[in-house]
Amino acid sequence: MSGKGGPSLSIKHFDYVRATSCAEAVAFLSDPTHVSRLLAGGTDLMVLRHKGEVHWDRLVDISQVPEMRSISQQDGAIVVGAAVTHAEIVEHPLIQRHLPLLADACHSIGSPQIRNRGTIGGNVANAAACADTLPALVCLEAVARIVTKDGEMTMPVKDVVVGPNRTSLPAASVIRDFVIPIPPAQARMAFFKIGRRQVQSISRLSLACLGWLNADGRVAEVRIVPGACTPQTRRFDQAEAVMLGEVPTEELVRKAGQAGAAQMVAITGRRWSTPYKELALPALIERALRKVFGLPEVR
Amino acid sequence: MEIRFTLNGKPTVVDVPPDTTLLHLLRDYLDLTGTKCGCEIGECGACSVILDGEVVNSCLVLAPQVEGRQVITIEGIRGPDGGPNDLQEAFIEAGAIQCGFCTPGMVVAATVLLRKHGYPTREQIVEGISGNLCRCTGYQQIVEAIQMTVLRRAGLPGKEGLA
Repeated sequence: MSGKGGPSLSIKHFDYVRATSCAEAVAFLSDPTHVSRLLAGGTDLMVLRHKGEVHWDRLVDISQVPEMRSISQQDGAIVVGAAVTHAEIVEHPLIQRHLPLLADACHSIGSPQIRNRGTIGGNVANAAACADTLPALVCLEAVARIVTKDGEMTMPVKDVVVGPNRTSLPAASVIRDFVIPIPPAQARMAFFKIGRRQVQSISRLSLACLGWLNADGRVAEVRIVPGACTPQTRRFDQAEAVMLGEVPTEELVRKAGQAGAAQMVAITGRRWSTPYKELALPALIERALRKVFGLPEVR
Repeated sequence: MEIRFTLNGKPTVVDVPPDTTLLHLLRDYLDLTGTKCGCEIGECGACSVILDGEVVNSCLVLAPQVEGRQVITIEGIRGPDGGPNDLQEAFIEAGAIQCGFCTPGMVVAATVLLRKHGYPTREQIVEGISGNLCRCTGYQQIVEAIQMTVLRRAGLPGKEGLA
């Protein structure tokens, strides 16, 4: 499709500006003479462009804004800039040490090429139903710090995404970074994903799980967050309630899996994918709980 | 819009519309057609190039995003004499090329892989080329070509070492 003399596909043309700070990006977005959209890694936006779904006349590039590009430890939390790529998260020692769940979620995304471009902020703000960082960030109780026209605000990631491709982010705002509390040293985490193939696949279902035991071997904390499952990415409290305060056993993880499936059906109703997901979700929950609480794996 | 960047080691200036992708900048404005135009949605890897040392899909990079940065395309990957390098020779020897459409992207991805892991495991090789689709070979010969290069760069026999 690519002849000489310029792009062959007829697309609606648009302009480009590069922001050097969040405040500047917000100013660009607020400019009433343009319909602007944010561009970071482009792994979602450039696909829209190719499909001819160009609903903007200017892209504001935030992929190189310095305040959005770093990973650091601040007090008891890891702060991850919104324009940090999935590959950078996977390789970062602070993430590997304190938030292996997030590293696993980012590693499950796309291919090396996609992970080198796609950003964590883009994954959240694009709000795809299958976004792989969402269950991990919700499970880790991450908070987004957002720059708006009226100053800065914070919002738990679980409240940012309100449905497929819909967020509660204010108009003309930019997620600057995510503050992710470091779980206690005794916490164990797991991330599992089911796709049609191992790489470069859209999640059919994923699961982020985190928990730890108290001194007498009972579940002190457990968080179970399925991805690509319900319109909003949430902790499945009914599955968690099965485990909380109990000594983990085979029977208990099976009950938690069943409770998780029941909760899913209660939220989504019976959809075309339900017969599959109500078998797959309990299996994922059981597998994750076994890993987190040190029960033997079942093949 | 004028874009200044380093392309295959040379300072380059090119004037393109701001909504051009890096893929079309290379192919349509600079005649560098070694970078292939496949799916244009980041699935196939045929358009892979190296941006600041990392493999990326040039179809998903907007041309102005490479301002001031380093890009290496398949045209910049070659032996000291200008012919094929050892990795490219190994692709030929292993039968890792049939129709050839995926080959530039494969070589680009494998080049980055070999820079990052001097001695990649088979698993690391498979992951390294997991963003590149090949509909002819079934991948086996491509993995073998990369393994042969790893062995030879370590001073070990290549093809024989795999048998």
